Amino acid sequence: MTSSLSIRHLVGLQGVSESDIRTILDTAVEFRQLLERPVKKVPSLRGLTIVNLFFENSTRTRTSFELAEKRLSADIVNFSSSSSSVKKGETLLDTLRNIESMKIDVVVVRHKGTGVPQFIADHSNAIVLNAGDGAHEHPTQALLDMFTIEQKLGSLKGKKIAIVGDIRHSRVARSDSWGMTTLGASVTLCGPSTLLPRYRADFPNVSWETDVKKAVDGADAVIALRLQKERMEDSLLPSLREYRNYFGVTEEVLENAKSSALIMHPGPINRGVELDSEVADGEHSVILAQVTNGVAVRMSALYLLSGGRANG
Amino acid sequence: MDNVILKNVRAFVNGQFETVDSLAIVNGIWQDSAPEGTPVVDGNGALALPALFALGIDFQEPKRDDIYTYRSGFRAMRRGGFYGGLYESSANPVDGIQRLVAEKAALGYHGFDIQVLGAINQDYEAKALAEMCELADGGVAGFGDGNKAFGSMRFLRLCLEYGAMTQKRFFFLPYDYSLAHGGYVNEGNFSDMIGMKGIPEQAETIPLFSLLEMARWLGVPLHIKQVTSKSALDLIRRFREMGVNVTCDVDIHHLLFCDEDVASLNTSLNLHPPVRSASDKDALWEALADGTIQAVSINHFPVHREDKEVNFEDAVPGAISLEIALPALWNKLAERLGDKRAIEVLSSKPAEIAGAEVVNLGPGKKASLVLFDPNGTTDVTSKTFAGGVENSPFLGKTLSGKILGSYIAGMWG
Repeated sequence: MTSSLSIRHLVGLQGVSESDIRTILDTAVEFRQLLERPVKKVPSLRGLTIVNLFFENSTRTRTSFELAEKRLSADIVNFSSSSSSVKKGETLLDTLRNIESMKIDVVVVRHKGTGVPQFIADHSNAIVLNAGDGAHEHPTQALLDMFTIEQKLGSLKGKKIAIVGDIRHSRVARSDSWGMTTLGASVTLCGPSTLLPRYRADFPNVSWETDVKKAVDGADAVIALRLQKERMEDSLLPSLREYRNYFGVTEEVLENAKSSALIMHPGPINRGVELDSEVADGEHSVILAQVTNGVAVRMSALYLLSGGRANG
Repeated sequence: MDNVILKNVRAFVNGQFETVDSLAIVNGIWQDSAPEGTPVVDGNGALALPALFALGIDFQEPKRDDIYTYRSGFRAMRRGGFYGGLYESSANPVDGIQRLVAEKAALGYHGFDIQVLGAINQDYEAKALAEMCELADGGVAGFGDGNKAFGSMRFLRLCLEYGAMTQKRFFFLPYDYSLAHGGYVNEGNFSDMIGMKGIPEQAETIPLFSLLEMARWLGVPLHIKQVTSKSALDLIRRFREMGVNVTCDVDIHHLLFCDEDVASLNTSLNLHPPVRSASDKDALWEALADGTIQAVSINHFPVHREDKEVNFEDAVPGAISLEIALPALWNKLAERLGDKRAIEVLSSKPAEIAGAEVVNLGPGKKASLVLFDPNGTTDVTSKTFAGGVENSPFLGKTLSGKILGSYIAGMWG
């Protein structure tokens, strides 16, 4: 099989070329159309075995990957840390060798540790897709964000995207900012200063803000991130109340954005904290479209990395 | 509002004293003339100084109103010629908007220019950040920790990093309680001679380095309260050269006393932080003259009589000084620093640090002044002080210079 991508794995979007991202997004358009048909399945990955290796809890990403894999007719094995020998003290490498002995072709992995997808790529022959590693990257989430913006607004080039929330601990914000700037968007990352990275040399063409109204000024799309309640216990924030008052994406805040600005969220939402219900359920919210598009984008990435061609 | 005519005074206008035959204050403004019947005060050549600004006031209401009250504090300010001050409550942390509103309401109606420091943390405990964004919008002058230990370095980092968004200044007294543990006086020849447990200057310099390095790293403006030692001054100079935005003050008592004065075992010299060696005192004066130190702080802290009428070690640290700061200090300041700088360190610089309005005297301007006779004398007695406390090392002394009256917040008195 030949791949039309220059990358063998999708471990992140940092350093991935514009043409590779473009190819994934363009191919996803076809898969997105497929999802509207009565029969939503193609035989592209028939005979391929994919393991979903989730060391960290996940509902929507895992479901989305599983659905994408099923619709490409792949064989699927699910592995979660709660039901595995990892709990019994097995090393990551041993876990990997055992799985590989079962002749797996593709590994979809989520892990709390940064770099685990790369580790797997380095130590196995399987093709690896990162479903989220620590606070590092979540490339398929970023791809579905980019897909959704382009679906609604056309090319990302020149678009202004504001991402608001816990940037320091967000793999979504990292992948979004690397991917979107590669496609020519201008990205502003906004959050309380305790939740922003301090050292920013590796975020080229990104601007930074601690004032949410300035961050969304003129924005074409606003992505709110989930605020983990542990941030309060960890003394990073004084209270949910102050967070909501100063960083919540509310109708008042959005008066500064373009009137047509898309409202996005990777889910699950803390309503009334990072996003007000009126906004989350408002006419510009594309949060559910993100979920649908996620399946198409993951189908595209799986298909292209596996070297197949769309049957369409 | 009171109207008054001050005859025959030397008023500080445009950076120098000039003789004014008749200074009429009408409705709070320096006017050319006053209505007939306006009371006249003959200054006999006394100085009309811009009213003073007090860094470090804590009247201890509401939690310890058995010791002192807001009312006592404001009377002390008027007597001492202070139009405003930076208020930081040790007992009642302003760690949320409701407490700020309550504190401002209690402090505001007397007409003084009181700036309030917000707390960096909730209940002054190094566990949770205070809602600093809301406090800043509510008008706090800056943030402090109520002279409590600021906790772990990580927690301090988070406080400063979060608070940096407000662009306010952070006020800290560098003091390592573990190093100071069990000490009462400066650790040195004197403490070892009298056998009293000492507090090493490293209890100041080690946390000071941490604060300065944090400020350099995180880019926050810092104010160091009550610098006591030459070593601390050297550190501040070094970090300022590196570009750190750091201001500092010296406590009035540290300019006038050193550890050897503690030989009297006067419990009013049990201070927090302690007065240090004679050479440190000299270094503080030099630093005040060369601008390393921007301002003199007052640190008016009332202590109940029974908490001072004990042996030195058992006394509660702290002193009151609003009423006597000017006569205690003016002649020495004017002689060593000159008139202009003397007024700066007592009035305009502390006001600037606290973000308060600076007083400039002149015809047509708001009158906020203290009439001071540098040739008079002040016998410090219990009656000198406005509240029911007298915890001042100046009690029983005669000071050179006398306050004749002040015009503050529209009242002559």
